[in-house]
Amino acid sequence: MDIDALAGCLASPACLVTQTTSGLIIGMLLFLVAVGLTLIFGVLKVVNFSHGAFYMFGAYFAMTAYQLTDSFALAMLCGAAGTALLGLIFERVFMSRVYGADVLMQLLVCYAFVLIFDDVVRMIWGPEFKSMGMPSAFQVPPLFIAGGVVPPYYLLLIGVALAAALVLGLGLARTRIGKVIRAAAHNPGMVSALGINTGLLYGGVFALGGMLAGLGGALAAPVRSLTPGMGFSVLIESFIVTVIGGMGSILGALIGALLIGLIRSFGSLGFPLFTEGLMYLFMVIVLVSRPTGLFGKEVA
Amino acid sequence: MTELQADRASETLTTPRIETRSFRSRYRDILIALVAFAVLAALPFFFGSKALLDFVIRCSAFGLFATSLNLLVGYTGMISFGHGMFFGLGAYGFGLLMQRTGVPIPVAFVATLAITAVFAAIIGAICVRLKEIYFAFVTLAFQMLIHSTILTWASLTGGDQGLRGGIPRPVFFGIDLANHVHLYITSCALLVLGLLLMRQIAQSPFGYTLRMIRDNARRASFIGIDVWRAKLTIFVLAALFASTGGMVMALFVSGAYPEFAYWTISGEGIFINMLGGVTTFLGPMVGTVLLLILNDTVTRYTEYHGIVLGVVILFFAIGLRKGLMDYVLEWYAQRRDGPGERG
Amino acid sequence: MKRTRQPGVSRRATLALMGAGAVTIAAPWVARAQAKTIKIGMPTILSGRVAQLGTSSRNAVLLEVEKVNAAGGLAGRQIEMVIRDSKGQPQEAARVARELVNTDGCEMLFDGEASSGSFAVHEVARDLGVLCIHTCSEASSLTADPKQHIPNAFRCVRQGIHDSIVGGSYAAAIAKAKGLKKWATCSPDYAYGRDTTGEFALYLKRFAPDVEIISESWPKLFQPDYTEVVTKILQAKPQALYTCLWGGDLTSYIDQANIYALFTQMEVFAVNMADYTALTVVKNLPKGIHSGNRYIKTFPKTPENAAWGDAYRAKYNEYPTNWSWQNATAVMLLTEAVKKANSTDGKKVAEALRGLTIKCPFGADGTVTMRAEDNTLVGYAIGWGTTIPQEPYVPEVKAGDWKTIFELEAEWKKSKGYT
Repeated sequence: MDIDALAGCLASPACLVTQTTSGLIIGMLLFLVAVGLTLIFGVLKVVNFSHGAFYMFGAYFAMTAYQLTDSFALAMLCGAAGTALLGLIFERVFMSRVYGADVLMQLLVCYAFVLIFDDVVRMIWGPEFKSMGMPSAFQVPPLFIAGGVVPPYYLLLIGVALAAALVLGLGLARTRIGKVIRAAAHNPGMVSALGINTGLLYGGVFALGGMLAGLGGALAAPVRSLTPGMGFSVLIESFIVTVIGGMGSILGALIGALLIGLIRSFGSLGFPLFTEGLMYLFMVIVLVSRPTGLFGKEVA
Repeated sequence: MTELQADRASETLTTPRIETRSFRSRYRDILIALVAFAVLAALPFFFGSKALLDFVIRCSAFGLFATSLNLLVGYTGMISFGHGMFFGLGAYGFGLLMQRTGVPIPVAFVATLAITAVFAAIIGAICVRLKEIYFAFVTLAFQMLIHSTILTWASLTGGDQGLRGGIPRPVFFGIDLANHVHLYITSCALLVLGLLLMRQIAQSPFGYTLRMIRDNARRASFIGIDVWRAKLTIFVLAALFASTGGMVMALFVSGAYPEFAYWTISGEGIFINMLGGVTTFLGPMVGTVLLLILNDTVTRYTEYHGIVLGVVILFFAIGLRKGLMDYVLEWYAQRRDGPGERG
Repeated sequence: MKRTRQPGVSRRATLALMGAGAVTIAAPWVARAQAKTIKIGMPTILSGRVAQLGTSSRNAVLLEVEKVNAAGGLAGRQIEMVIRDSKGQPQEAARVARELVNTDGCEMLFDGEASSGSFAVHEVARDLGVLCIHTCSEASSLTADPKQHIPNAFRCVRQGIHDSIVGGSYAAAIAKAKGLKKWATCSPDYAYGRDTTGEFALYLKRFAPDVEIISESWPKLFQPDYTEVVTKILQAKPQALYTCLWGGDLTSYIDQANIYALFTQMEVFAVNMADYTALTVVKNLPKGIHSGNRYIKTFPKTPENAAWGDAYRAKYNEYPTNWSWQNATAVMLLTEAVKKANSTDGKKVAEALRGLTIKCPFGADGTVTMRAEDNTLVGYAIGWGTTIPQEPYVPEVKAGDWKTIFELEAEWKKSKGYT
């Protein structure tokens, strides 16, 4: 434990800015993965255990696109669009077959795809780790805000994630499709009775969730190494985020992700050896005091 | 699922008949257990293969673990994602006691069970109140907490390198666990005994209380059952058997490693249950044998075992939509009830 | 009425099923007679995050075995490698190792496991008494700790303690020359990371007493994001940073530290940088990172080493890794030991291996030795240099001095209570 370091940092504005932005970065990337998870759970009541794979594919798609076209924007687009398509296929061909079945059967299908996707990546891109490399536009010295260090790339990353959160939130609240999605989450039988194609809707939600995770992976690709199985550690953390925030709540996912990010960044100062444990402890505390998470609705 | 639930519900209604049936069937269970043990114990005399013995030892470890998980998942409807922590706890508790204190093996065995019971009671008291998916995630969180403690507390646990230097095995009651055949027989005995005890729990009135809680916890509490206490009790009992499985594994590898307390062990347990089926008592045991055979043969031929395993799982989940034993049972029942068949 | 829960039925069906299963699986388990070929079993990690460890080890072993077989094999017996995946799980490593010996009839084991898996295989070697050469595990205690010692197990791997001694003295010289007094460390939180970092700091301070460690970070192994660690180090404002992150973790760290311009603010000592896996993957490799040699074909600067690196690359279309040279050396050592013992009997070969010195492209002076006192490899090429972003990546490597290593290692062993 190193409480002095933590207190020292809290007293210094430069350190506060740096650590807070680093918490935001970790949090926002987590949010992109976690929000898809929570969206899919909210509408389809499926715990998508294979969600980490979409993050992984997003990163690999982006890397390949970047190597082929040398365009960062295209790489991001490929990462997001590729995983959206993958999500749609995955839902239509496989997940849709187990909606009526046991929760465990659904988990099992997801687990099967965790194994299959990892091996597919290993077959296509090889077992060794890869790196996409930072686009030259972002190879610039970091900015200094109130004495704190902030890399421009991370500003972009936070911006994109925030925009995604905003579009998603507004889209669900204001648009017709958003209403249908919320209605389907509430009462799927009624929605289909009204003549809405729930199959398409479910596929769409899965594609959207996959796309967000893929975007997260694509954004992470320039700074994180790519390996088969890379989705996994992200998946576990996103589970923690969604559980803390409340399964099915988008706002919850955002708050949960930011909290986890901040716990990581400040925890690494104060409790360098127990940062990971701190997250689990926090989750236990939240769940024991609020069994459905911070923003979750009561389960009947 | 709904069909099964209906079946389960009808069972709970016929409680008086079950009482008498379970009384008779208890002796039959014991008889079957004795025969099973005799067959297993005789194996080394017919097959010289050490690998076969290794296989059965691993089946014992995972079988105890998976069947105990089924007490929670199948019988009580508590989907635990953290059951592996007790497997790890058993392995570490036993290994540490043997390495550090030098007590006789039976003492270490009992002491490990006691330690596990304490841990399970504390963790269970916090967890069992939670519902469904939240119960699953909090148990998972505890599992990760224990895993991270094992990694961090390197002076006691050896950190990521595990308990090294082998587990000493002093001879007790003429049993020498350093001897492969002795270890094999002991594992079989633990397995058979463990299964028999779990069967007794499942068929006892308490076992039927658990089924009732699974099907309708509210109704159970209306008729005066303390749901929290029943859930906690089975949580602790299941932990004890998982811990026994962990001890068998520790003896097999002569050490304990953090991977034993990692969530993947829990995941494998769930997977085994799904594979074998959760509606029969022996389903998880069948699942264990199936998974280990699958694992051992597939890893022999390809390093892309993930794909192979994944496809097999898909076959079960999407094709059969149930565990193997559930499927066999249904098929059997259909054939028996079908016209023109004997029976 | 449909009754699906008849216990009698379920048990009978189950028993029948289990019986059928037992017959099918028992079939391949009939022990086979000793063949003319000699089988060597190798449990290693071929899937998951560190699959590269297994694949590059396998490549090197097969490359060397091909040569040995072409030259007539081991005492006239052709080698057949049986290489299986353990998925990096210790219980699988133990299971696979036992199966290789008991079922597949392997007479020797190469243990291509890392960390906990290697200790699990070590226990199997203890139990079965089979000759075992560890080829990937760098954990010092595996051979240094006399409690672990068994006469039939050897380690043909570089060791953290050797790296730390050489690194410590190299870094101390630079610290003195450039006046680097405030140091930070950032290493993965597991035994290898902790031990190696602790030892590095120990020897750094020994050679440059006024050095002070002002910040320590311990990210988890395989942690995807190091941002919080990077910023923490920036806060501490050290003059130099030591890290023993490796592989994908190291490249992630470099990519993430790069955009904070960390490398312009301090000297960085990354012991595991100079391995082609990391060097070729990092797109924007900063100039002037100090690194130990993992494997590079230009150190030692001999035609033999360069030829070996090129041959490997020609065959597999990628550069060898640190694991590759270690596994290749294991085959070379084994071949010489069998020659010396004139037998493939495990006990006799083990006897011959003990203290054996062979010519080897990876030796500091063209030879490596299997040290008799603790069955571990010494005399391999070890040194430090600074990186450039293109080939040959580390143009000048300053070789470590094995005499100093031996002295300090003996002292270290004493301090640990190993001797």
